[in-house]
Amino acid sequence: MSIPTREGEESPPASPPPTLAPTGDVWRRTRAEEEDLLLRLGLGPTRWSLGERMWWVSVHPDGWVAACEQVTGPLGHPLSTLFAEDVQDRGGGVQVHALFLGNDPTPGVHLCCPLGEREPKLPSLGGTLPYVVPFEREIAEMFGVEFEGALDRRPLLLHETHPRPPLRRGGPSPPSGVRAPYAFTPVEGEGVHEVAVGPVHAGVIEPGHFRFQVLGEKILDLETRFGYTHKGTERLFEGQTVGRGTVWAESVSGDMSVAGGVAYAHAVERALDLALPPEVEEARGLLLELERVAFLSGDVAGISLDVGYAVGAARANIQRERAYGLLQALTGSRLGRFAVGVGGFRRPLALETLDQIPGILRDISEAIQALFDLLLDKSSVVDRLQGTGIVPRWLAEMLHFLGPTARASGLRIDLRADRPYGAYHGREVRVPRGLAGDVLARLTVKVQEILEACRLATLFHRSLNGGVAWRVPVPAPNSSAAAGLGWVESPRGELLVYVQTGTDGRLQRVHVRDASFLTWPAIEFAVRGNIVPDFPLYNKSLNLSYSGYDR
Amino acid sequence: MTFPKVLSPAAPKVPSPAGSGLDGVETLGYPLGALPSVRGPPRAPQIDPTRCDLDGACARECPTGAITLRGPGQPPGISLDYGKCLFCSLCVDACPHQALSSGPMEEMAVLDRSDLVLVRGAPTPAGAPHALREDLRKRVGHLFAGSLSIRTVDAGSCNGCEVEVGALSWPRYDLERLGIHIVASPRHADALLVTGPVTRNMRLALEKTYRAMPTPSFVVAVGACGISGGPFAASAEVEGGVDRVLPVEVYVPGCPPSPLALLYGLWLALGQVEQRMVSGELRSPPRS
Repeated sequence: MSIPTREGEESPPASPPPTLAPTGDVWRRTRAEEEDLLLRLGLGPTRWSLGERMWWVSVHPDGWVAACEQVTGPLGHPLSTLFAEDVQDRGGGVQVHALFLGNDPTPGVHLCCPLGEREPKLPSLGGTLPYVVPFEREIAEMFGVEFEGALDRRPLLLHETHPRPPLRRGGPSPPSGVRAPYAFTPVEGEGVHEVAVGPVHAGVIEPGHFRFQVLGEKILDLETRFGYTHKGTERLFEGQTVGRGTVWAESVSGDMSVAGGVAYAHAVERALDLALPPEVEEARGLLLELERVAFLSGDVAGISLDVGYAVGAARANIQRERAYGLLQALTGSRLGRFAVGVGGFRRPLALETLDQIPGILRDISEAIQALFDLLLDKSSVVDRLQGTGIVPRWLAEMLHFLGPTARASGLRIDLRADRPYGAYHGREVRVPRGLAGDVLARLTVKVQEILEACRLATLFHRSLNGGVAWRVPVPAPNSSAAAGLGWVESPRGELLVYVQTGTDGRLQRVHVRDASFLTWPAIEFAVRGNIVPDFPLYNKSLNLSYSGYDR
Repeated sequence: MTFPKVLSPAAPKVPSPAGSGLDGVETLGYPLGALPSVRGPPRAPQIDPTRCDLDGACARECPTGAITLRGPGQPPGISLDYGKCLFCSLCVDACPHQALSSGPMEEMAVLDRSDLVLVRGAPTPAGAPHALREDLRKRVGHLFAGSLSIRTVDAGSCNGCEVEVGALSWPRYDLERLGIHIVASPRHADALLVTGPVTRNMRLALEKTYRAMPTPSFVVAVGACGISGGPFAASAEVEGGVDRVLPVEVYVPGCPPSPLALLYGLWLALGQVEQRMVSGELRSPPRS
């Protein structure tokens, strides 16, 4: 396993000109070339942020939009996440951070914009990057930052007004009990009617509100509203020890507990400059891939059920149960909870069943493959899937959708291959890709991902046979504040956890960006021109997290 | 107390051939048959009073404050609330005297919140009187034992509980074989299964769903969040447990409770089994 290089160990190449030539879908530059390009574009001075493995640039509010456009334009990185931090106790006001992840070996850029303490203001990026609008709405309600020129100023996650923005420092700010006004975009015309769905849904799923505008049977428009599962999780991290933070990281989206735990642990470990032995990372990789198998088998089951093919659902759910059984046998928790910790694992894995894992994974692979063949053999199933709920590639690219949704629309993005972490360093990961962007393409991509996850889990399992050092000592927090970034390709796609520790070694700010946050708008487009009764099908084929969005 | 057993135990499990998952019986006999053995390390903390010296290492580790020491000026003692417990085992690892061990957590559901609290070092406070509940329970058992319709509401969970409630419909657990159905509307439901810490934003929807149910009906609080707010109890954005908002008949602890734990909880609600957890202690299962 190659641990990412520490500062100073890597000597920059003599003087190769920075290249702007794309390789395939992605731009690939070395760390030194990336810095050189940043400086030539006038973005400087730069600072290497070891905990995030990216270049850090401080930007004045006046140059904010231009700087972000430089990074998304000439540098070619999408905006991965946008969040704010209250730095009053460090002699400032609110800082806004924009993270642009690069594909290995290109590190990417962290733009930081300090705002004034009173009435913090920043020009809105919504005009050039439409997908940042939800980020800006969240920062506006949580920190009281005003985004000048923003087209959508409605609250995002808070349904009640708060006397003070809740993520500003100075004690908790409980909801006032007064409902904040919220207006859905009206659609008018003869015969247009509204269908409201949720927050309580008919199935065993999470709460969210969907407002359809329908003409006859055809959906003209859909608007989503979330926030129903908002628990103030990011606030709960504050002041906790780094070890305990795992609890909330795993509870951002419970069906991706392992991914959340690993992303958080990586963020803290990078902030503390802590390298783990390869076998520990591989044990984590095993849990991550088992979680993926269970999760995606559930998607296959859900799609099958929502087209009324109960046999398919039952067969896929048998495989899902097997994968959860493996997680339980290893960790004691069916969702793999409370296993991963900072510095390795919180408890040693139970290895009694280790030698059964390859056999069970082979069975799962074969059963899923056989089920997929069966589904494709049923014209009544294929008819419901083909051409349904299309997310075109241009849209997926423009709005930066992630995970299987983006891959089914033709984008080859997968952090395990693009920006390897932990066990995936130097490991080949086959990234499946669809073309049509319909439900059938998403099903196909998910089936292929299950097979690939079974293959990877078998590989990781092999390297555990020699036993594992379960935990490396975590150094006592030193007095300097540190930032770290964890990224994991969760079953839903790119999951980011940003951690900022304070001078007391405790958590000062933790920001979690689930893939769902960027990918939820896909459903608003996928349903257009389709019919309302098929909605469960589009929803299940995307299977995004409400809790991951709301936190 | 006995109720007419309307169902007979399922056929014994036939081992399915490797691979297909097509042949053989996947479905468990539980709760009609015996509790199947659960693989993997157990997770429920148990305190051995002879070893505990009340130094509080476990209480300091606990992320949800489930373990508390009696304050100064009171007789020394320690309490463990399984309604707040995430079953994360941090306390077990933290104890320098190995006074904590891990046990099974499948049959922990209770009818009375106070039965989830274990108190050591002081006389156990008397639990709430069961008489009224017993009466209701008889009625519920009589009315719903052969057919219970459930509506679930996610009141802000992390969706971990949704995975496990959803799993009740998978072939392995197959809830419908017990005459229990998950229905789409509260208008068709006899019971409300509520997960999550009840966020401020879900409170109104939860209350409306409850009011939409025809009576008689009852509420089951699922998971640490549903019982006490779990790891989110300290947040200003949540109410901190279903019983802050609605009357709760059954509490099913866990983070999340496994499908087996949920089956037990529902079976307990229907009066088909005796409650094993009393004042925080798990009694041995009654002989049938």
